[in-house]
Amino acid sequence: MEYILAKYNYWIYILLMMIGLYAMIAKNNLVKKVIGMSIFQTAIIVFYVSIGAKRGASIPIIAHGHGHDVIATAVSAAEYANPLPHVLMLTAIVVSVGTLGVALAVCLAIYRRYNSLEEDEILEQLR
Amino acid sequence: MIWQLDLLILSLIVLCALATISVKDLFSAAIIFGAYSFLMCLLWTEMGAVDVAFTEASVGAGVSTVLFVAAVFRTTRKVKDRGVKRYWTKGVGLLAATSVGGVLIAAVGDFPGFADPLSPASTHLSPYFITNTLTDTAVPNIVTSVLADYRGYDTMFETAVIFAAGLAVIAILRRSKTGVQHESREKVILSEGYEDTIIRLVARKMVPFMQLFALYVLAHGHHSPGGGFQGGVILGASFILIAISYDMKMLLGRMSEKWNVLLGNIGVLVYAGIGFVCLLLGANFLDYSILHRILPATDEIMARSHGMLGIETGVAIAVSAIVVSLYVNIASQGKHDKGL
Repeated sequence: MEYILAKYNYWIYILLMMIGLYAMIAKNNLVKKVIGMSIFQTAIIVFYVSIGAKRGASIPIIAHGHGHDVIATAVSAAEYANPLPHVLMLTAIVVSVGTLGVALAVCLAIYRRYNSLEEDEILEQLR
Repeated sequence: MIWQLDLLILSLIVLCALATISVKDLFSAAIIFGAYSFLMCLLWTEMGAVDVAFTEASVGAGVSTVLFVAAVFRTTRKVKDRGVKRYWTKGVGLLAATSVGGVLIAAVGDFPGFADPLSPASTHLSPYFITNTLTDTAVPNIVTSVLADYRGYDTMFETAVIFAAGLAVIAILRRSKTGVQHESREKVILSEGYEDTIIRLVARKMVPFMQLFALYVLAHGHHSPGGGFQGGVILGASFILIAISYDMKMLLGRMSEKWNVLLGNIGVLVYAGIGFVCLLLGANFLDYSILHRILPATDEIMARSHGMLGIETGVAIAVSAIVVSLYVNIASQGKHDKGL
């Protein structure tokens, strides 16, 4: 029980990733597949942000860090959450809106040509 | 971190994820996905990742939902259920999901405990960023200093990826108005011919405040959550608000397609250009400390802070232009005649 509770974020990220992967493969509707892709992406982001969390740490902005006089005071690394995963995931979220835009554009182009968003109907027309 | 709150939010997230892939109405799916993104935003605030939460709130819950609604509006709202049982595909999907999940669950045993301060990820590189950001760059928001200075190459190419995505959407969708048009048979009525004075007035009054807030988020990103990406998305969202509350012509009259793409270019060029100025002054690419030679009244530390502001401005210009371009092309199916 303790083993499960100690790593609950990792279990949830795996669950979300499985939901996303299942939707990408098994759903018939193209927009549903795109939603599955977005869920998959957020699952990865949950994983990274969970890695960056630290017990008893504050947000990664140094308190009273304005101006020139504060530079002398030493900053303890244990007081602040790990900023590196945050940076990687911040850009990943913005890139995910780019991939989402391209994916939806492809869906619209497919709809314009086949007048359907259902995978099996498009495959029938392609035969 | 409060684990009870964490678990509550996480269970709501899983519920939303299951709901959004199982509802039959794509419009509902888009809205539930917006709620899912917003819960993610809460989760990240709770875990201390405030910059990530801010980005998720503006990008995931805001712009992504608008893009989904626009795509659903332009195609069809219903998921067709023809009664065909697709056991084969579903079986393959379940098999793939469970096998990948099983491998990952087996790997969790090797992970350090959640939020362990002594985990490898928190002990090697990140203490350097935390302890040196003030002495190196005078920027208290560590996420901004890592994003724009220590890992500047990464962010530059991320901006280039956004720009490439905008170009790809234009290449896929853009058609002239006079071409052969394939009108959808089934009309989805969301707001067609619906002109509400109250909505228009309120939207019009809100736009300047949104843009001011976007500039604040951009400029104050050194000291508080925020920065170029978030500011750029909010700026782009203010243009999208004009396009939704009025119509596409109102937006394109103020910001034509040519200008839009040009601004996307300029944003990436501002970023790379600052890097090249550093190179010309004799330092490494994107090493802003050398900029103190041309910036008045700065030392090498403050020059890094100002260099970051410069590249964040480039990021904001590029991101806002591309977000608007994505919306315009998806909402009008590339015809630029009318939107939602």
